[in-house]
Amino acid sequence: MAVSDSRVFCSLAAGADVLQGTLILLVLRTLEALGPLHGYAIARRIEQISEEVLQLNQGTLYPALLRMEQEGWISSKWGASEKNRKARFYSITAAGRRKLAKETAEWRRMASTIERFLAFDPADLAEAQG
Amino acid sequence: MSWVRLVAARLHGLFERKRLERELDDELRFHLEMQIEDNLEAGMNPVEARYAALRSFGAIEPMKETYRERRTFALLETIGQDIRYALRTLRKNPGFTVASVAVLALAIGANTTMFSVVNAVLLRPLPYASPEHLVMLWTGRSDQSVRESRSAYWNFEEWRRQNKSFADLAVFDPASATLTSDESAQRIGVVRASANFFTVLGVQPFKGRMFSTQETEQHQRLAVISYAFWQTRLGGSQSAIGANVELDGVPYQIIGILPAEFRFPRLSADVWIPQTTSPDWQSIQSARGTGSWFVVGRLRPNTTVERAQAEMDAIARRLDEQLPASERNLGVSVVPLSFQVIGYKARLALYMLIGAVLCVLLIAATNAAGLSLARSASREREMAIRTALGASRARIVRQLFTESLALALISGLAGLLVTLAGIRLVLAIRLRDISRLQQLGLDPQVFVCALVLCLVTGIVVGLAPAMTIARRDLRFSIQEGGRGLSAGVAVRAMRRALVVTEYALAITLLAGAGLLIRSLWSVESVHLGFRPERVLAVQLSSPAFSAIQQQAGFYNRVLERIQSLPSVENAGIIENLFINSVSEQTLTTEGERQGIFERLQFREDGVSAGFFRAIGTPLEKGRFFSSQDGPNSPRVAIINDALAGRLWPGDDPLGKKIEIGPPDSAGPWLTIVGVVGDMRRRGLENEPIPQVFEPISQNPPRLATLLVRTSGSEPLEMMRTIEAAVHQVEKFVPVYGVTTLDDQLSAFLTERRFQTMVITAFSGVALLLAAIGIFGHIHYSVATRTQEIGIRMALGAQAGEIFGMFIEEGLKLSLAGLGLGLIAAFALGMLGRSLLFGVTSTDPLTFIGGSLLLIVTTTVASYFPARRAMEVDPLEALRQE
Repeated sequence: MAVSDSRVFCSLAAGADVLQGTLILLVLRTLEALGPLHGYAIARRIEQISEEVLQLNQGTLYPALLRMEQEGWISSKWGASEKNRKARFYSITAAGRRKLAKETAEWRRMASTIERFLAFDPADLAEAQG
Repeated sequence: MSWVRLVAARLHGLFERKRLERELDDELRFHLEMQIEDNLEAGMNPVEARYAALRSFGAIEPMKETYRERRTFALLETIGQDIRYALRTLRKNPGFTVASVAVLALAIGANTTMFSVVNAVLLRPLPYASPEHLVMLWTGRSDQSVRESRSAYWNFEEWRRQNKSFADLAVFDPASATLTSDESAQRIGVVRASANFFTVLGVQPFKGRMFSTQETEQHQRLAVISYAFWQTRLGGSQSAIGANVELDGVPYQIIGILPAEFRFPRLSADVWIPQTTSPDWQSIQSARGTGSWFVVGRLRPNTTVERAQAEMDAIARRLDEQLPASERNLGVSVVPLSFQVIGYKARLALYMLIGAVLCVLLIAATNAAGLSLARSASREREMAIRTALGASRARIVRQLFTESLALALISGLAGLLVTLAGIRLVLAIRLRDISRLQQLGLDPQVFVCALVLCLVTGIVVGLAPAMTIARRDLRFSIQEGGRGLSAGVAVRAMRRALVVTEYALAITLLAGAGLLIRSLWSVESVHLGFRPERVLAVQLSSPAFSAIQQQAGFYNRVLERIQSLPSVENAGIIENLFINSVSEQTLTTEGERQGIFERLQFREDGVSAGFFRAIGTPLEKGRFFSSQDGPNSPRVAIINDALAGRLWPGDDPLGKKIEIGPPDSAGPWLTIVGVVGDMRRRGLENEPIPQVFEPISQNPPRLATLLVRTSGSEPLEMMRTIEAAVHQVEKFVPVYGVTTLDDQLSAFLTERRFQTMVITAFSGVALLLAAIGIFGHIHYSVATRTQEIGIRMALGAQAGEIFGMFIEEGLKLSLAGLGLGLIAAFALGMLGRSLLFGVTSTDPLTFIGGSLLLIVTTTVASYFPARRAMEVDPLEALRQE
């Protein structure tokens, strides 16, 4: 590979793990909803479903997939893609479903808490104290 | 449980690395291809599609790195990688590797050898139970004129009764006795010891038992024998216990055998007997002050040497009142037993040698660092590419350290071979005074030491390149393409610092070696006061049970017979020509009224009439002894210059009278009939001591050294003849310990020769390494500045100026090192002052000589690369651009 190319990539390397926790949730949900998928399809689905809001470096997906597989939430197996090419397909496991349920509940609680904060009106507080 | 799965997954990753790596590549390629196809479908042109795909994927290599780290134990895998890579690099640069390994192996080997010596001599505990609690107690304090004398039995008993610091105190008195059996007689080492001696040391008998306090009080004649004695004299016989040994004609019953490993510092004894069996026990018991007893004590566990010393100080002051006037105010010193094993001077010498050998290692490591720095400059491009590919700086530094550690470990392995050779060499030299050297060998501690040295060396060697890499911004190196000019300021400064360090260390060693060489010369040319050439020394003792008159007669008959032998020039008798220590005694001189007495260090010997003539000591005044000085004629004495000057400065001592002992003692008055020159009898390095000689017929020694000056060039060949002559006079007299005076004198020098030889060798190596260092530096400097030289020449600089420029660079560096090193050398010279002889620690000749040697070496080492600079063709140099 030409030297100049690799230097371009270097500058993009930062911030890869920011969405780590969220990424796991998204991947598990995608696999639960759509069944076995290869890495590229997972990346595309996440981008489509999130309507291009979540712009992550697709590359960060693979270390995440590896970790999830090591944790036993997903499993993988080599198979043929829609264009009949060799690809690795990931599917969610029973442990993955449990993890997804837990994470979803967690996320919802978190989201509703934050929602309450954002919806917070100082006048209500004054009333409650009054 | 999840961590178990993680570990299992990662272990799997470790072993299936290749396959998993291929799968990852496949997966990523698939991902990118899919993306490119999608992009093409979206209407991009192929190049655009590819770029967009790569952009949306993000950096591939760092991602792979994260992936790999997760896949397995990253550190383990990358260390493995680093080691493989390091070994490959070392193999690809055989010149660098061989040079570095050779230098480092020698240095590490020298260090581990030194450590083995120190370990055997200083560190390994004495072969007793908790040896750190064992001390020796001496009469006299080291800060006073009387230093560490043996004590009288009464003093020991009082110390033992009054102290609270010691679990127990024991006494012993080493002597020798004639062991008589049916056919032969032999002189052996016998120690009279108190019953608790072995309990204090914590030594159990190998067989049988030790004698008890009750038995000693009953003066029972019992003996405990050494393992070696049991093996050699009694053939290891099971019936040895209960058998008798006959010492000086008196039978002792063997009751115990000591373990094979038992030994006591500076004591070679075969038989241990109760202290109460001395023939003159009554008078020994009542004597007070100094005496013939060694006292060894075991401190209570909760006490220190200092506290015991404080208590003994108080006890000594109390006891002073009960001592005769001449024995007062001597004090007591408490000295750890380990100091008995190896004395202050030998310790200091060892520390100096350790310092020197560490210096050599440091120089070798600095040299290797210089080499690897030069190499790292040429590897800049490699490092830059690794950085660009996503290697972090820490990762590159780790790689460099892995390389230097691999280098150091290889050197360490080779160094162990050097150590084995070194240990052989040290054992071959046989140091007389380093008493525990026979235990020298490779043991686990030596391996640990070698390993630690390797690690330190590896870090030192890797430090310089790592520091310069860490400091530089490598991204620019790629554009520069690794050209000469990029060899940055940092690298050059570091190289200079390394060269200066090498020089500073080298001059320190050179100065030390110079001082020691000068000392050795002074010692070798010292005025002995006698002529040792061709003199054979033979130990003999008078027949064990003869009376004084008979002993003198025996000695005279032996001398007569020996002198009648052909090829014997002369012969004489003295107890021991060379002595280890001098004790202080009271000497009374005839005064106007009652007599003047004083305590002084002097030695008193009975000598044969022809002794001085045989040994070649000149008569200064008066006469030698003659056959007229018989047992019944008036008592006479010859003194030496030192004593004459001390007792009657500026006055004629002939005809004056002295008495050995205080005025009220019953000793005979001796009339001085002669004065002889001073003799160095405590080795070459100790000043002559005051001496009193008496004729053997009036004061015969129990043991004697027969000194025979032969006319043949090989005195040892006379040995058989002399033994036969002695046995013609008296059949059962032991004749043993045959040496020559030259050999004995040479033995005094072994240790000094060894030190001087080692330090000189070390400083030679240091000088060579420093020269290689400066050569490398100038060579490298010329190589990287070819263009500059070309420009200078094009602008009109003469070849001579260019040459001078590089010679100057070398000299500047060496002078900087010289300045620093001289300061260190002065400081070390002061510290090691007591090891010098006949030179001051600031000897100008040594320092100027060493500096000149170093400067000449620098000039020679810089000459060759500087010549190359002169030969640069300006046109070609500029065309290189």
